[in-house]
Amino acid sequence: MRRAVVLSLAILIAAGGCKKKPLSANLNAENKVAVRPVTLFFEGPEMLLVRETRNVALPENPAGALSVVARELIKGSSNAGVPPIFPRDTVVRATFLLPDGTAFVDLGGNTLTQGWGTGSHEELMAIYSVVQTVTTNFPDAKRVRILINDEPAETLAGHVNLSRALLPSATYVAR
Amino acid sequence: MNRSLSLLAIAFASSLLLLAQAPTPTPSPNPANLATLRTASGDKQITIAHQNGNTYFAADEVIAALGGSVTKDGNGFKAALNNTVAAFGTDSRFGVVKDDLIEMPVAPVTIDNRPFVPWQFFQGFLVRASGLDATWDAAGKILQVHPAQTTAAGVTVSVANVQGISKVVLTLTAPADYNIVKEPGAYTIRFKTAIRAPYAEQAHDDPNVAKTTFTGNDLRIQLTAPDVVADAYRLENPFRVVLDLRKGAAVAPGTPQPLNSTRPVEAPGIHTIVIDPGHGGKEVGAIGPGGLMEKDATLALCQKLAAALEARLKTRVVLTRNDDTVVPLDQRTAIANQYHADLFLSVHMNAVIVKGAHGAETYFLSLDASDKLAEKAAELENASKSAAAPAASSDLKLMLWDLAQQEYLNESSRLAQAVQEEMNRITGIQSRGVKQAPFKVLIGATMPAALVEVAFITNPEEESKIKSDAFQKSVVDAITTAVERYKTDYETRIGIVQPPPPATTAPTAPVTTTTKPATRTGT
Repeated sequence: MRRAVVLSLAILIAAGGCKKKPLSANLNAENKVAVRPVTLFFEGPEMLLVRETRNVALPENPAGALSVVARELIKGSSNAGVPPIFPRDTVVRATFLLPDGTAFVDLGGNTLTQGWGTGSHEELMAIYSVVQTVTTNFPDAKRVRILINDEPAETLAGHVNLSRALLPSATYVAR
Repeated sequence: MNRSLSLLAIAFASSLLLLAQAPTPTPSPNPANLATLRTASGDKQITIAHQNGNTYFAADEVIAALGGSVTKDGNGFKAALNNTVAAFGTDSRFGVVKDDLIEMPVAPVTIDNRPFVPWQFFQGFLVRASGLDATWDAAGKILQVHPAQTTAAGVTVSVANVQGISKVVLTLTAPADYNIVKEPGAYTIRFKTAIRAPYAEQAHDDPNVAKTTFTGNDLRIQLTAPDVVADAYRLENPFRVVLDLRKGAAVAPGTPQPLNSTRPVEAPGIHTIVIDPGHGGKEVGAIGPGGLMEKDATLALCQKLAAALEARLKTRVVLTRNDDTVVPLDQRTAIANQYHADLFLSVHMNAVIVKGAHGAETYFLSLDASDKLAEKAAELENASKSAAAPAASSDLKLMLWDLAQQEYLNESSRLAQAVQEEMNRITGIQSRGVKQAPFKVLIGATMPAALVEVAFITNPEEESKIKSDAFQKSVVDAITTAVERYKTDYETRIGIVQPPPPATTAPTAPVTTTTKPATRTGT
């Protein structure tokens, strides 16, 4: 009860424009949110990544925006003719952006957890769709490391080395 | 209206009064919620909390006491100390620092909007930020911060037999220097820094390893027979010391070996080829629309390929697996290194979501994904040239292991080019070209190495072809011819065979790729 009173007062003071803002789990309360265009990468008919622009409500804070953008990517293309790269049950569990330019994207979902049975091409497309999307939308992110279920992963599907952060690569993007 | 304003004013004044009297948003100073932070500069009381049987420490108090700060950052927190920043949040038991992870037994929690972390967070962060380490004395309720040199690395041991070779793998929580000492009927790994032994002694049901015994910082591997010999090497991420034990003569193990010394001096040329059938066991790989599993297709093809290579080239051919079993990716490369192979070829079937894709692709390793690694290696190499850098020299060897394949990239590209060209000759196969990718199975190979994607198993037409004996034979012929071409070309270039007349020779093309090489720069 006493804690509730203190919390209420803190909210009252914040609403009154006090500089000492309370901390909150609600990103929208902490960050100014605006609808902005983001660039997502999906596999096109030429078997290379193609860009898709989408307007998304994003917090200004890159650390908060990173999760939103990663989740938009995993939702798949808005073009019904473009199949999703990742297994449909894939989720973005968390993201981090370090000051040194390394972005961490923690993925989960039953298929990735049990072991994704796919070939190297599809695995490359999936991984670099994340790498290209993150580094394109967040200039501070220079490289991306992918985790699976909170853990460092050897690979996503048995081919591509995930034990280190990956740089963006034009090799996998359609001109 | 006036009455309303008066009430609001009274309410606001009361609020301010209550606020002035309210406690700060920290747990109350109950002795149960306090512990001692012990550093070189003295003791200080810090706030702790208990939830679900776990003890958490006020991260902001501890880091501030050490001269740093903790701030809210997006949906997580940021700890800064000595220009090193760690990020952590309540949704993960891993924090991140310097492209590395800080593992905690449970995720941090927030109490009154303040971050509380398990003590292991300080252990992981301080080592990287300040060369300090932390230990928690639960009985005395003392969180002690001390120099990291006293840290004992945790060790786990696994013993597994692969094709007659017993792999003893020691996985350490931190890199450590060591020597390996050969004794009658045993090998002893003598760590130069403290380790935490997982057990005192353990017996093993293994043809070469009888038991393993920890004494102090030594691990003694008792062999089943005096003629069991070992090759030793180490791997990174996580740090591992590996002993491959087998009966018969082998390279004597010694201190951690520099890159090139993992290969013995032997007759130049191509004498041993390791063929790697992709996937296996529960790692089925891609599955065709008709149900054909990649692991089965690669094994059937590779068994035929091995026989063809042995028959035509008169070389020794080793398969990384000869049945339906899981072989970890780094073990596949390790097998090639163990046999001192001159070539390594991994065979896979491709998969794609785009309909109608067909054709073969051949890859060799791309190291462009590891800019930080390359920078670090260069940094360490420069540092090791100075007199006062023994640690850097040790680290450099570790880095070089990860960069092992880099030395062979030129030859790997020639091998990949030869394989791709011969695959292109198979009727009906569309070339998808030679490419580079950061494939795990190619890292660490100390010989030319390539990975061929024979066809798209996800394409119903190609799936049917893959099952057919005729197609398998044509693929086996193509790859065998490619390896023969590469062998002849290589042995000609190093001068151990005479170059054949130009009219009958198809020298391997210079190093080119059909795709744009990846850049090493960021966006």
